[in-house]
Amino acid sequence: MDKFRPETFLPLTPVAFEILLALADGERHGYSILQEVEARSGGAVALHAGTLYRALARLLESGLIEELNESPDPSSGDERRRYYRLTARGVAVARAEVGRLEGQLAAARTRRLLKGARA
Amino acid sequence: MMRDVLFRLALLAYPRAFRRHFGAEMQDDFRRTHLGPLGTARTLSTLFWNGVRERGSAIARWTMFPNATPHLYEPNGRHFMFWDTLRADIRHTIRQAIQAPLYTTLAVGALALGIGANSAIFTVVQGVLLKALPYQDPGQLVMVWSHNTKEGKRENPISPANFVDLRAESRDFATLQGYYSFVSNTQIVVDGPPEIAVTSFVTPGLFGLLGRSAMLGRTLTEGDPAGQVVLSHGYWQRRFGGDPNIVNRQVTLDGQPATVIGVMPPEFVFPYKGMIGPTGFTRSLAVDAWTTLLLTGPRMVDASDRFVRNVHYLAAVGRLTRGTGVEQARAGMAAIASRLEQAYPDTNKGWTTTVTPLHEQVVGAVRPALLVLISGVAVILLMACVNVANLVLARSISRQKELAVRAALGASRWRMMQQALTESLVLALAGALLGLVFVRWGVQALVALAPANLPRVQEVAPDATVLLVTLLVALVTGMLVGIMPALFAGRADVRGALQEGSRGTIGSRARHQLRATLVVVEIALAVVLTVGAGLLLRSFAGVMMIDPGFKPDNLLTLQLSVPYRLTTADARRAYYAQWFERLEALPGVTAVGGTTRIPLGSTSVTTSVQVEGKVVPMAELPEVEFRRAMHNYFEAMGIPIRRGRGFTADDGPNAPSAVIINEAMARRVFGQADPLGQRIRTGPNPSGAWSTVVGVIGDIRHAGLEADPAPEMYVNYLQNPPVAPFIAIRTSGDPAAMAELVRAEARAFDPTLAVYDIRTMQQIRSESVAERRFLLVLIGAFGLLALILAAVGVYGVMALVVSERTQEVGVRLALGAAPGEVLGMIVRQALTLAGTGVAAGVAVALTLTPLMANQLFGIPSFDPVTFVAVPIVLVVVATLAAIVPARRAMRVDPLTALRID
Repeated sequence: MDKFRPETFLPLTPVAFEILLALADGERHGYSILQEVEARSGGAVALHAGTLYRALARLLESGLIEELNESPDPSSGDERRRYYRLTARGVAVARAEVGRLEGQLAAARTRRLLKGARA
Repeated sequence: MMRDVLFRLALLAYPRAFRRHFGAEMQDDFRRTHLGPLGTARTLSTLFWNGVRERGSAIARWTMFPNATPHLYEPNGRHFMFWDTLRADIRHTIRQAIQAPLYTTLAVGALALGIGANSAIFTVVQGVLLKALPYQDPGQLVMVWSHNTKEGKRENPISPANFVDLRAESRDFATLQGYYSFVSNTQIVVDGPPEIAVTSFVTPGLFGLLGRSAMLGRTLTEGDPAGQVVLSHGYWQRRFGGDPNIVNRQVTLDGQPATVIGVMPPEFVFPYKGMIGPTGFTRSLAVDAWTTLLLTGPRMVDASDRFVRNVHYLAAVGRLTRGTGVEQARAGMAAIASRLEQAYPDTNKGWTTTVTPLHEQVVGAVRPALLVLISGVAVILLMACVNVANLVLARSISRQKELAVRAALGASRWRMMQQALTESLVLALAGALLGLVFVRWGVQALVALAPANLPRVQEVAPDATVLLVTLLVALVTGMLVGIMPALFAGRADVRGALQEGSRGTIGSRARHQLRATLVVVEIALAVVLTVGAGLLLRSFAGVMMIDPGFKPDNLLTLQLSVPYRLTTADARRAYYAQWFERLEALPGVTAVGGTTRIPLGSTSVTTSVQVEGKVVPMAELPEVEFRRAMHNYFEAMGIPIRRGRGFTADDGPNAPSAVIINEAMARRVFGQADPLGQRIRTGPNPSGAWSTVVGVIGDIRHAGLEADPAPEMYVNYLQNPPVAPFIAIRTSGDPAAMAELVRAEARAFDPTLAVYDIRTMQQIRSESVAERRFLLVLIGAFGLLALILAAVGVYGVMALVVSERTQEVGVRLALGAAPGEVLGMIVRQALTLAGTGVAAGVAVALTLTPLMANQLFGIPSFDPVTFVAVPIVLVVVATLAAIVPARRAMRVDPLTALRID
């Protein structure tokens, strides 16, 4: 098999990156990803269900996330819910994306686009 | 509750697998979010569009990378449903097709040919027969004609007085408009010498009735005075280079000043060929200009200022009021006509009206021919289906094992049939796709081949309907091709096929019989088509054998329009005398003459005649064709003078008036009596000069080779020289080669003389049968194709028979059979098939050919010559097709044959 190259996934779509971010601190199900994204952005980013699940399907296909076989929290009683977590590839791709964004941020700073930035 | 239902509906946009995977969660998420109506609507719409996009990308992946299915879409038993099966089957079919390129090419090629040809012909049928006419609400439009019951002429033009009365009294028409029942070659002066524009004279309300407006400027409108002209798009482009400032341009039309007021859009056609008067055809029908026809002037009203009632030259088109049916309008018009009959018995006795839907009027005449055409091409497609079905069957033999393995592994019978049907549907769709590529060219070729006067031929173009019909035809084709193999796949003999080296199933009896049946069907279809082609060919030959009554070889014709300065008869007489003298002096010219109506190439004009000493009511006077003969017309045309004499220089303007009649008129007007020396008078008028019949000429087929000769009378042109006659020039050599010489001579003679439409009589004769030839060429081509397909079919089956009987043949040869006997055995088998097919085909053809009786000429639909010749041809073809494999059988080496196992 070819060596895995995270750069081939870049740039991620905003929705895909949000999902990877939400999964970075543990397994979540779809609805909880929606809530997390909305909460973190202070309501600025609202994912539509259709958009979210299509992105989940793509990430599953490319192996950046995976489905858990059973619910991590049986007490939740929500058995219909599928839980997702990042794979090693997912982590690598998310890191690569962060690196790419950092590069852009740095460039923005040197060009004084960021408020309060010093060269 | 409502939200849930809407959500579920929107979810349907997603592929099934996606829905099964995520659907429940998505719905759960949706229930938990609280949104206003606007937010809900927005969410549902994004949901729906995401679903559509997901489905789109799923389909794209399916077709592009059938093997790289993401695990989400992988069938896991529970989801293994229709679409997944279909996908698997299609993939399988494509793999199989790639493995057998020859088979695939043959099958797809045959289907592409069949389907493509059908689509091309359908495009023509759709453009000509089915599409609505380019007028507003064309379903409400009807044509109104006068119906002369005494002479059985249903579609006679209307006289001005009758038109005015019909228009005034009818309650069924929103409007009724008239036009000259012919188009005229009218002189137009733009900026140089006079030219000719084909002009249609219409009452000004006509454009409003048709509901069409101009592309530039305006159309004629009700109440417009004379002296206004609307140009056709083609003429505007051709003559004025598409000048955008054409409106208000001043021209001279028919010697009168006229203003161009508008240009019609390119697709506007008026009138169509079918809307022109009944007798014959004009040379050109592409109208260049429309101008006002006013119901005034000497042609319209008589000396006492009443509308003329006994001369018929108007055609009428009307728009029915909403809710009025054609039947009602027919009855209404007939009632008015019968009132007029009583009020004016002198002129109207025996005259009623004919009301025909406009669409029927325009395309009714060509419908039978086009129906024959589309039936023929449908037979070709059927034959292609049979051939491909045979091919598929043959191939299924070599795939016996594959099918048996599938069955052994538990594939259900239905599942196997589904697979087989999918295969043939994929083949048919591929064929349709390929066929569509050729439809454009096919249609272009058809339009080029079609007679120029085929109505609406310029409106023929492939459109969405054609695409849809092609798709439908492809689906039906796929079913037809696949049904037999599918039934067979459904009952594969598992054990037999899986036995190593077994041969029992390969020659399986049922399959064998099926293939034989298919070939029989194919031969029968070929017989039907070839019989059709044969009948048309015999009819065409019959028509071409008809003696038109003159000698069309070595004859050049043209039309003139003399300059307007020649206002007096004397001036024109002098002009023509010089003109004929100069033409006669040309090298290679043997005789020159002219007439006002040339046979096969112009409309007719009729007049009623009175015979001296016979008193007949005006309405019962015989109607005869009226022409003027110029110079040596009969000699130039090669029209024989049967009795008496032709015109001479002595029949001048001051000599006693002389007429020459044809034999049909002699019979019609004088019966058994001797016409020579009798005196006749034209028109219904009780006064006027008598003319003496001085000669009788042979009959001429004026309105077409197939039309019966009409009664005709000729007067000498010297007594009233025409302004736009046809000239006939008999040449000693090739008449076409003389055309330039004559044109140059005309220019040298008088540059202001308009000379146009120079054609040889053979050309005119050929054009007059163009429709018949079109049908013959196409059906003939189909017949030829049918023969080839039948030969291929016979060859295929016999080749298989030979390869299956190799062993048997080997044994026979080893036991001392002569190779000739083997050949005979195989050929006999083929002949049995051919004989059965031919018998079936003849039976079918006998029931079908009466349907095309109106396309035949001079032969019955059961024409014995065709019905004997075609079976012979097919038997010969089948024999030849069988001889190739039979010779192979003859050369079988007994030793090798016996050693096969």
